[in-house]
Amino acid sequence: MTRALPTSTLSHRARGSGLEQWVERHLRILMLAPAMLVLLALTIFPSAYMFVAAVTRISPNPDLPWEFAGLQNFTRLLTDQQFHIGLRNTLVFTVSSVTIEFLLGLGLALLLDRYVRKLNVLKTLLMLPMMLPPVAVAITWKLIYEPQFGILNELMFNLGLPPQAWAGDARLAMLSLIIADVWQWTPFMFLLMLAGLASLPIEPYEAAAIDGASAWRQFRDLTLPFLKPVIAIALLLRIMDALRLFDLVFILTGGGPADRTKTLSLYIYQVAYRFADQSYAAAISLFVLFATVAFSTWFIKRMRLAE
Amino acid sequence: MVRRPFLAMAFALWSLAAIHPAWADITVLVPSGSEGDGLRAAAADYAKLKGTKVEIVQAPYNNVFEQAANAGQTKSGAFDIVLMDDPWIPFFAENGHLEDLTPYFQKAGKDGPDDDFLSKSLALCRNPYNSGPYICLPYVGNAQMFFYDAAKFKEAGIEEPKTWDDVLKAAKALTDKGGGRYFGYVFRGGQGNPVVADFMPLFWSYGANLFNEDRSKVTIDTPEGAQAMKMFMALRDVSPKGVESYNANEVGQALAAGTAASSINWPNWVATFEDPTQSRMVGKISYTGIPAGTNPGSSEIGHWTMGIMAAAKNKQEAFDFMQWATSPEQIKVSAERGNPPVRTSTFTDPDLTKQEKFRHYPVLMKAIQASTPRPRHPKWPEIENAFGIELSKAVAGAETPEEALKNAQAAVEKIAGTK
Amino acid sequence: MLRSRSAAVTQEVAAYCGIAIALVITLFPVYWIASNSFKYDIDIFAIPPEWYPVNPTLKHYRAAFIERPFLQYALNSLIIAVSTTAISVVLGTLAGYALARFQYPGRWRHQISFWILSTRMMPPIVTIIPLYVAFNYLNMLNTKPAVVIAYTAFNLPFATWMMKSYFQDLPVELEEAAMVDGDTRFGAFLRVALPLARPGLAATSIFCLIISWNEFLLALILTLTERSQTLPIGIAGRVTQYHTYWGEISAAGFFACIPIMIFAFIVQKHLVRGLSFGAVKG
Repeated sequence: MTRALPTSTLSHRARGSGLEQWVERHLRILMLAPAMLVLLALTIFPSAYMFVAAVTRISPNPDLPWEFAGLQNFTRLLTDQQFHIGLRNTLVFTVSSVTIEFLLGLGLALLLDRYVRKLNVLKTLLMLPMMLPPVAVAITWKLIYEPQFGILNELMFNLGLPPQAWAGDARLAMLSLIIADVWQWTPFMFLLMLAGLASLPIEPYEAAAIDGASAWRQFRDLTLPFLKPVIAIALLLRIMDALRLFDLVFILTGGGPADRTKTLSLYIYQVAYRFADQSYAAAISLFVLFATVAFSTWFIKRMRLAE
Repeated sequence: MVRRPFLAMAFALWSLAAIHPAWADITVLVPSGSEGDGLRAAAADYAKLKGTKVEIVQAPYNNVFEQAANAGQTKSGAFDIVLMDDPWIPFFAENGHLEDLTPYFQKAGKDGPDDDFLSKSLALCRNPYNSGPYICLPYVGNAQMFFYDAAKFKEAGIEEPKTWDDVLKAAKALTDKGGGRYFGYVFRGGQGNPVVADFMPLFWSYGANLFNEDRSKVTIDTPEGAQAMKMFMALRDVSPKGVESYNANEVGQALAAGTAASSINWPNWVATFEDPTQSRMVGKISYTGIPAGTNPGSSEIGHWTMGIMAAAKNKQEAFDFMQWATSPEQIKVSAERGNPPVRTSTFTDPDLTKQEKFRHYPVLMKAIQASTPRPRHPKWPEIENAFGIELSKAVAGAETPEEALKNAQAAVEKIAGTK
Repeated sequence: MLRSRSAAVTQEVAAYCGIAIALVITLFPVYWIASNSFKYDIDIFAIPPEWYPVNPTLKHYRAAFIERPFLQYALNSLIIAVSTTAISVVLGTLAGYALARFQYPGRWRHQISFWILSTRMMPPIVTIIPLYVAFNYLNMLNTKPAVVIAYTAFNLPFATWMMKSYFQDLPVELEEAAMVDGDTRFGAFLRVALPLARPGLAATSIFCLIISWNEFLLALILTLTERSQTLPIGIAGRVTQYHTYWGEISAAGFFACIPIMIFAFIVQKHLVRGLSFGAVKG
């Protein structure tokens, strides 16, 4: 699919000044360097700070010195109930949301691709939710879920079902969160799937139709394999974002009720900013970082995305 | 085509550079809401008066603590003055984030704040509580009151609820008749600050408290605590579904919309209840002190206080502003802007008490004078969080009240490092 | 494969129904917040709910934009978003092209790509304290440039990754042809690859703009006043300790959505085509 350009110049006459030639020869570094340098500068200090913080005890009193604490902050993870709850909530949320988003997004893309190819307006409308500020989305759903005057309970009432507290109900809070996230991010999946479908080659399908393959078999044996790279990227990006979810939970439920929706990112925030315990927050963050990196590495290898 | 992104970048950099506003002389951190709005207006007045520029930074409640803690820990000097909810004071004071006000008072020729301030309000502003030096000044005199629909309570046979049993009796009758759309009681069950704030008065009125006298023992899982919990659960049973995530907003709305008959709440809700564009219950809601249990009812104090940060850049000017903002005249102006006052003179000022929207002042003043503060502990945010989780679980029915008390006891012991 | 006509028609009808339902579900919440922004508070809380504003009012818009500094917040959001996008897309396009086209020794390229991806895995929460410390030291707290710098840290990897994949899907032959005709490699990049990647650039830029416009957490900690606060911070700030100002939040929230909606419509063709890799055929 890709072929790198040869590293030696192809031009067969000397072009430009010595500087231009030097630039040409070193292009592969010069083009990459600015981005690399900027990223390096922006990530080095925070990373160093985080690593140091994770192995010390930082007191909220700025006049007290930082004490070296070894792996204490990490061993605390093993016995910290709230951390375990956060971990469980994050995993439940991520798996549920991403799966539902993928299925819905793919389904919708298939429908649109087959029946409504030309309408850009339709596609743009369906894309809307993921573009909106998560804060606005959270507020909107908070209003919809509102037990007393929210329209969801009005709907329940009209269907003859008992009203629920939704985001405020310990049993339903996670579901409420997932619904809101699915509403917002299915378009992302949909968009990528649609793009992937639009770039499918026609010939294999014509051949398959001649051979009498059913729509399902065409889908399974042609579409899915063709879409694999797009699906893989879409899933990877969505999973990474779902693991770090913050804005929606922060505003919709604040982690409650009874900690049912406290995700890890929310817990880290609480430890760092409400309990003023920077060191422990850094330790949890490192855990999340390593876990995400490990997962992504495995995922990329599995999907053979390595390029 | 390539030019466009470069143009965009150039424009962006130019606009970033072009905008450099004037520096303020003092920066004040306040919560969003009427306290912040009141102080913002006061700052504008002060600027006209003295020519000092006061910049007001407003943030949502939780964010105020976070910003202030951040500034304190990193000695950033981002704020000169912070408005603190009183339970936070031990955290800031004991971590060295606040400036001792004694030398400033002495320079002004005084021993300390004058005695027009309510004594309970002043007690909060000293660290240790009621005995150490002053590290802040009271500004907003919040203490909980008990709000109830007098007509509905009368229907249920209670003239004025004096004890929690009274409340339960009326509430149960009203909820039973309410058919799922009207409830006799509503409270804040949201985990963390909301549920703890609404539970503490109940806790206290049965003689229980989080710690013993000298903070050496945690006393949550006690017979008194169990009694308080029992009443709390009974009240939960007659409250709307979903209370386990309610905050002041939902509770206030319930009363304003007329879908609940009573609750504990903060005084600045009075303005909303009496506003016809926001309330269907104008003139129908009465106020009284917190009901009694086995002990006299005690309102929970929740003052907003102003302190100077240790790393502030303009401490003397900050102190001058604080003195001005807490003077009798300015407290009266603040009261008119919707913030309950902290001075006796303001509470008894006939200009104010004759107005309908301040008819609760006598009740409020009494409530403050009979109030109890939440436990003074530098790790209060963590303690409140842990306690709040267990309470919220009990409210949600995710664990039994007995388990909640036991777990809360263990969690708080771990945080406080006591046994 | 024979299929009766009626079955095909039923399928089509069912498909259209499905799409229609999706459309309604997608758009209703947006309609809801918009309609609520025009209702008086007491109508927002009405039971049963008002499906459209019976007594419309501009009260909340006035409150948000005139009495409160939401206009300034919006301006801040705009400046920050444009700046971050400009920097990220320019640097990211260069880097993405390099990664797509050039050989790097050993497994470097793979490592670099992965490292770029991994900066997106960092939970932003704890990096904020060191960022706060750093900006405080540089006296840059509560300034827009600080926010731009912080946003670039995660927009740049994204832009690089996106552009890399766009360039990879462009056949190399065109650039080789240009070079055979005497152009330099960089010239081929400028005059052949870049124009072809225009849809990709548009898509990437739009995503960067959206991400920056919508960002909340970093702004929450790094900004303090109207000098640098963004729209999401303003919106969240209307959830106060005692009161959720539903009217103002709806007004500000809906307003925050409008530019994005307009922008999406304007570039919709490019956006869709860009993600459809609609480039040279066969």
